Amino acid sequence: MTALTSHLKLLEAESIHIFREAAAQFRAPVLLYSIGKDSTVLLHLARKAFWPAKLPFPLLHVDTTWKFRDMIAFRDRTVRAFGLDLIVHTNHEGLARNINPFDHPPSIYTDVMKTVALRQALDAGGFDAAFGGARRDEEASRAKERVFSFRAAGHRWEPRRQRPEMWQLLNGRLGKGETVRVFPLSNWTEGDVWRYIALEKLDVVPLYFAAERPVVMRYGQMIVVDDERMRLEPGERPEMRKVRFRTLGCWPLTAAIDSDASDIDAVVEETLAAKVSERAGRLIDHDQAGAMEMKKREGYF
Amino acid sequence: MHLAVLKEEVEAKTAAAKTTAVKTAAAPAQAGAMVRLLTCGSVDDGKSTLIGRLLWDAAGVTEDQRAAIALASHNRAFNGEKIDFSLLLDGLQAEREQGITIDIAWRYFETADRRFVIIDSPGHEQYTRNMATGASHADVAILLVDARHGAKRQTRRHAAICNLVGIKKVMLAVNKMDAVNWSEARFREIDIDFRSIAGSFNFAQVVTIPVAALTGDNVARRSLHMPWYGGPTLLDYLEAVDPEAARVDVPFRMPVQLVIRASDDFRGYAGTVTSGRIVVGDRIVDARSGLGATLRRIATMDGDLATAAKGDAVTLVLDTDVDISRGAVLSEVARRPVNADVIEARLVWLSETPFDPEAGYLLRTATDLTPVTSMSISALVDFETLAAEPAHACAVNDIADCRILLGRATALDLFRDLPLTGNFVLVSAIDGATVAGGVITWAQSGAPAVGDNVLVLDRALLARGLCADLGDSPADTAEFHRRAQEVALLLRSVGVPVLIEI
Repeated sequence: MTALTSHLKLLEAESIHIFREAAAQFRAPVLLYSIGKDSTVLLHLARKAFWPAKLPFPLLHVDTTWKFRDMIAFRDRTVRAFGLDLIVHTNHEGLARNINPFDHPPSIYTDVMKTVALRQALDAGGFDAAFGGARRDEEASRAKERVFSFRAAGHRWEPRRQRPEMWQLLNGRLGKGETVRVFPLSNWTEGDVWRYIALEKLDVVPLYFAAERPVVMRYGQMIVVDDERMRLEPGERPEMRKVRFRTLGCWPLTAAIDSDASDIDAVVEETLAAKVSERAGRLIDHDQAGAMEMKKREGYF
Repeated sequence: MHLAVLKEEVEAKTAAAKTTAVKTAAAPAQAGAMVRLLTCGSVDDGKSTLIGRLLWDAAGVTEDQRAAIALASHNRAFNGEKIDFSLLLDGLQAEREQGITIDIAWRYFETADRRFVIIDSPGHEQYTRNMATGASHADVAILLVDARHGAKRQTRRHAAICNLVGIKKVMLAVNKMDAVNWSEARFREIDIDFRSIAGSFNFAQVVTIPVAALTGDNVARRSLHMPWYGGPTLLDYLEAVDPEAARVDVPFRMPVQLVIRASDDFRGYAGTVTSGRIVVGDRIVDARSGLGATLRRIATMDGDLATAAKGDAVTLVLDTDVDISRGAVLSEVARRPVNADVIEARLVWLSETPFDPEAGYLLRTATDLTPVTSMSISALVDFETLAAEPAHACAVNDIADCRILLGRATALDLFRDLPLTGNFVLVSAIDGATVAGGVITWAQSGAPAVGDNVLVLDRALLARGLCADLGDSPADTAEFHRRAQEVALLLRSVGVPVLIEI
């Protein structure tokens, strides 16, 4: 047994409990795998919950086609290493209309390539429950969400009508047309995720560790140029800078931070000492006031 | 506990734990490493402001959040130039627009040796069900009152819900002391009144602290305005409070969540230990079927364990193949749960739709889901007197005593003995909604002993006399079943084994 400290051990046991309750109660669950650190922890906990059996559900990755190349390589390595059943879905209609993060505002791009894509994939698979790696410490509307987060028909979140959730009892009985998002990491913080990755020696996408990377400044934030699709403004030239990511999404919309943290211990230390919140690096969340809540009402995550 | 004792506890612990955010990678390591804290109280008593203030002063607010809150506060021109701390918690748009809290908010921060989980709950009566959700996850409750108004009906309701869900430690924060001129007399008056309210409940510790959330007095920093108060600040209290009185020699229980099968003949029962401890080689029984076996392995992905205790999520492998499935409660042999088909319980009604004796309900216990055959309300808690008054109906936000007959027996404990196998939620059979949450106060096994002296209540026997007046309509059929259950109940209560076959 690994030497988990007591509060991480409590969180781990709680997450395993949630995974098992969902697997026992829902007909067709799926795990939303987005390749980042939270998904890494989520997947690890799922494997623990059902060990020695294989995961009783597939993984789903919504690929916007704008993920960092390192993320896709990491995803494919992970799937092979653990013998996982992975579904990759892209909104091909959006792709055909060339919806992209350079020509369209983040709100439109996210809606088409992430929210709509997710709804398409969930409906196509007939899934009644989707595990997500969201944490309540990420953002104010997430802080209000239940572990079993019920969605009305069309995957809408109705924050004023959340189902009571008492004690350890998770009632997964669905009403007509309802589906559920399940959040096993609800009570984890960003610091917990990193401490757990360190303690359990989990492999994560290398982008989380500091390295020299080509950077341009956009909207006051550092954007790492990941492929030839980057549109440079006149006179703009990528500069090499030692940076890393706190959060990973689509590369043109995810800002890097200056950092020397090139190994897991340094990342843990930097995270626990951080003075700004994690989502400050997510450009999509700043587009409008209450942006996350709006996205969730429309079926995002 | 009295203030003097608490003060010692506080001084001993705060010496080691200063109120700065953790800067090292070392995680809290000892028992009590996590404290889950509920804040509740009536509307406008300033709960969100108090917790916002605590986070702002003690830890847990990042620079970009501070900037965003400062900007939003300015936009709302709230309270002149002051920061609106409640914006840190009221995360929903409707909440920000209306300036009220609708649903519970979860916040996390840590000091040198503990993780705090703060569950901020709404004060409006309309959202009491969200408050009950929050309370059921808490170890400690902070009840807020406005110093100008003292305890209100909603304060008593919240105290009753905290008590119902099993919270043992309660702190009354008398807020807005600035509005009563920092008056010691006013504080004492509220303190005495609240202690008489708290006397109706099973709280193990009641502490009262005078605070002013807006100015931060006695929140994270000792007030200079109230030299007459020598007790702990709110943060001192939180750092010292013991979240759970450790109980020794508690019987082992593990409700089975699912059966895990894998190649090489692996068959294990997955679940979280809800009480006690188990060691490889121990005998265990399935309380529902009475089947016994010896524990052969405690399997986890990190390797087998020799022992598992409360809170551990494990997979148990037994030496013999017994037919156990989800819903079973694995138990030690000596002190087993009751295999009950009739229970009495106290519950809080959460649904907008009132209790309906004709509606279909299901009893969701640790991992079992059992159909309810019939249910009746016997009393309602009066939030003025806190006494249980006879009643037959119950609606949203009520606390009621009830009796429930189950369609089949299930393994249960009394909540006061083992909370995690003695609690339940009531589920609507129609739409799956959670309509009530409750705790079991009495449970009886009606399962007949195998033998010749079992009385079989069959249709013919009942139709001859007791139910001779009933026809075939749905209402009459329901009444037929109700009478059969009642007769069975009465007979079983005097020790006659009864089997219903209708």
